[in-house]
Amino acid sequence: MSDISPARAFRPAATEAPWARITLTLAVVAILAVLLFAPLVTVFYEALREGVGASLATLANPESQSAIWLTLFVAAFAVPLNAVFGVAAAWLITKYSFRGKAVLITLIDIPFSVSPVVAGLCIVLTFGANSWVGSWLVAQGLPVVFAVPGIVMASMFVTFPFVARELIPVMVEQGRAAEEAALTLGASGWRVFFTVTLPNIRWALLYGVLLCNARAMGEFGAVAVVSGKIRGLTATMPITIEMLYNEYSSVAAFTLAAVLALLALVTLALKSLLEWRYADQLAATHRH
Amino acid sequence: MQIEIDEISKEFGTTAALTPVSLSIPSGALVALLGPSGSGKTTLLRILGGLEFPTAGRVLFDGADATALTVQERRAGFVFQSYALFAHMTVFENIAYGLRARPRATRPPAAEIARRVTKLLDLIQLPDIGARYPNQLSGGQRQRVALARALAIEPRMLLLDEPFGALDARVRKDLRQGLRDIHDTTGLTTIFVTHDQDEAMELADLVVVMSMGRIEQVGRPQDIRARPASAFVRDFISA
Amino acid sequence: MRQPFVHKSPIPGLGLSAGITLSMLSLMVLLPIAGLLVQGFSAGIPAFLAAVNTPRTWAALYLSFRLSLVAALFNLVFGVVLAWVLVRYRFPFRKVLNAAVDLPFALPTAVAGIALTALYAPNGAFGQIAKDWGFKIAYTHWGILIALIFVGLPFVTRTVQPVIEEIAREVEEASATLGATRAYTLRRVIWPMLAPAALTGFALSLARAVGEYGSVIFIAGNIPLKTEIAPLLIVIKLEEYNEPGAAAIGIAMLVMSFGMLFIINAAQVFSRKRMAYV
Repeated sequence: MSDISPARAFRPAATEAPWARITLTLAVVAILAVLLFAPLVTVFYEALREGVGASLATLANPESQSAIWLTLFVAAFAVPLNAVFGVAAAWLITKYSFRGKAVLITLIDIPFSVSPVVAGLCIVLTFGANSWVGSWLVAQGLPVVFAVPGIVMASMFVTFPFVARELIPVMVEQGRAAEEAALTLGASGWRVFFTVTLPNIRWALLYGVLLCNARAMGEFGAVAVVSGKIRGLTATMPITIEMLYNEYSSVAAFTLAAVLALLALVTLALKSLLEWRYADQLAATHRH
Repeated sequence: MQIEIDEISKEFGTTAALTPVSLSIPSGALVALLGPSGSGKTTLLRILGGLEFPTAGRVLFDGADATALTVQERRAGFVFQSYALFAHMTVFENIAYGLRARPRATRPPAAEIARRVTKLLDLIQLPDIGARYPNQLSGGQRQRVALARALAIEPRMLLLDEPFGALDARVRKDLRQGLRDIHDTTGLTTIFVTHDQDEAMELADLVVVMSMGRIEQVGRPQDIRARPASAFVRDFISA
Repeated sequence: MRQPFVHKSPIPGLGLSAGITLSMLSLMVLLPIAGLLVQGFSAGIPAFLAAVNTPRTWAALYLSFRLSLVAALFNLVFGVVLAWVLVRYRFPFRKVLNAAVDLPFALPTAVAGIALTALYAPNGAFGQIAKDWGFKIAYTHWGILIALIFVGLPFVTRTVQPVIEEIAREVEEASATLGATRAYTLRRVIWPMLAPAALTGFALSLARAVGEYGSVIFIAGNIPLKTEIAPLLIVIKLEEYNEPGAAAIGIAMLVMSFGMLFIINAAQVFSRKRMAYV
C-alpha cells in the first residue's frame, strides 16, 4: 500500500508519462534545431564570413542595389493590388448569397496548389512574344515577359489568395449586422466600408498583407521563369542571389540572402505579435 | 406613421418564409410580432426596414409606396437582436453615427450633434456613459444605447428585433417599461419582434401572432386572450 | 421556383466587388492557365503525349513525386508530434519555437536553397560530418529530400494545432476511466480526431513539395535522369526555346496539383462530416 508514490498517484489521466513528455520535447527541439535553425544561422554565418564591412560593401555594388530597388518596386505594385483584390473578393463572398460561391473560392485558391515554376510558365506562354496577346503587347511597346510587368504578374499570381484567405473567415465570423446597422442609420456604402468594416478587419488585413509581402519579395521560381534574369533590369533580390551564388560570389549572395532572412524574421515577429495581441480579430486558425 | 403591408411574400430559395401576408398598422401604435422561431416575424421586420426584399407585394408608408426605397431612405430606427453596436466606437460616437453620416447639406453642426447625443443619453437614463466603449457596458445598457442610436436619426418608425432576447429576466422587466416610456414620449410607430407571449401581451397595443409564414391573428392583447382565432394561437399564448 | 443567381441584398457594392474579383481572377489566374493549356495542346494530343513521354520527363516527374511523398510522410508524422508538443507541453521558449515553425513559409526559397546547400555540401558543417561517415547528402536524393522536408514542414502542424486545442480533456479522461491505457487513448480516441486535419496538411505539404523549385535546385545537383526535378526540367525546356515541351510538363504538373487540390477538398468535406456531431 505504501508503495504508491505521490508522483504516480498524482499524474493526471489525460497526459503522457513524464519520461515520454521529456523525450518527445527534446526530440522535437533537436529536429527543429537541425532543420530550421541551422540553415538560418548558416545564412548569417556565411554572410559575415569576411566581416561586417565586407558584407556591407557587397550591398553597395550596383547589382545588389538595383536588385533591392526592383524587389521593392515589384512589391509596391503587387501587394496593394492583391490587397484590393482580397478585400473585394472577401466582401463579395461574405456579404452576398449567390450560386457558385464554392467554385469561386476554389478558383481563388488555385495559385496555392500550382507550382511557382508552372505559374511563371503560364505567364510566359500567355504573354510571351510567341503568343498573340504577347506579340500585340510588344507591338504596343509594353512587353510583359522578360520585363518588370511580368515579374509583377508572377509575384501577384503566387500571392493571389493570401489576403482573401485571411479576410474571409474573419468576415464570416463578424457577420453582416454591423454593416446593416450602419445602413439603417443612413450611411452610404463607402462610409459603411471605411467606418465600420475596415476598423473590424484591419488587423486581419495587415496580417494578410504581411504574408503577401514576404512571399512577393521572396518569390523565386515564378520570377525566375518570367524575368529573363537581365542584370540591372529584371533581376530581383532572389534572382540576384542565385546569379551571385553560381558565380561563387558567396559573401555577396549570402549578404543579400541575409537581408531577405531578416525580412522573414521581422515578418514572423510581427505575425506573432498580431496573433498575440489581436487574436480575437484574426482568423480562428491563428489563435494559438 | 401609418404602415401598410400589402400581400408581402418572401421565398428563400425554395422555402417560403412568408406566404402572402397583409397587415395595417395605425400611426403611433406599439405592435408586437409574436411567434415561434421560423414563423417569419423577423423576416417581416427586416422587410419593413429595407434589409430584406420581398419576393412579391408592397409596403406603404403613410399611403406612399415604399417598396423600392433603399435601407438608407427608409429612415427606420432599427434595433438589432444583439444590438450590432460598433465595438471600435465610443457610446457617443455610436449614437452620433447616423447624424455624422448625413450629407453635408443636412448634417447638423458638431455642437448640435453633441447636444442631441447628450439629450438621448438623458432619455435612456445613462447620462454619463458617452466616453465608454460597448464592451464596457452591461447587456441592458447596450440595449438602451442601441435604442438611442436608432432614435438619433429622427426615425419615421422604430423596429426592434427581439429587443429583450439577450437579457436576463429582471433587466428585461425594467427595460419593457423603458421601451413603453420611449414609445409614449416620441409617439413613434413601434414594431418589435418577440417569441415571448408575456412580453407581447404586457407591452403591445396590438399583437400580431405569426406561424409558419402566416399571420394567425391580429388583435388587442385582451381580445387575443379572450378569443384565440385558432388552435395554434390558443396553445401558443397559454404556453 | 428556381433559386435566383444572386439574392438581392441591401448591402451596396455587389457590382464593384464582383467586378474587381472576377476581372482580376480572370486576368491574373484563369487567362494564364488557359494560355498554358492552349499552348500545350496547340500541336494536338499526340504531340502533347510525345512531349511528356520521354525518359527524361518521366524520370523527373517520378523523382519529384516520389521524394515529395517521402518528405510529406515525414512531415505528417513529425508535424503531428510537433503540434502535440506545442499545444500540450510547457517548456522554455515554447512560444519562440511556435513562431519559428512558420520560418519555411517566410524565408524565401532561394535563401533556404543556398543555406541548405552550404550546410550539407561536403565542406559544409553537416556535410563534413556525413562525409566522415562515408555519406553524401548534397547533390543526391538525400539533399533534395531535406529541402522538400524544410519547405513542407509547417503545413501539418498548422492544420492540426487548432484541432488539438479544441479537444475536450473530458474525452481523454473518459477513456482513462474506462480503463484504457494512455497509448490506447491516443491511438483510438485522439488520432481519429486529428486524422482529417493531418491528412489535409499532408496533401498541402505534398502539393508544395511537388512544385518546389527554389530551395531544391541548389542542393540537387541537377543531373538528368538522376537528380533533376520536374520544375527544373520546365525551366530547361524554356531556356531551349522548347515551349511546347515546357507546356506539356507544366500541364502534367497542373493535373497533379488539381488532383491534390481535389483530395484536400475531399478531406475537408470528410472531416466536417465526421466532426459535425461534436
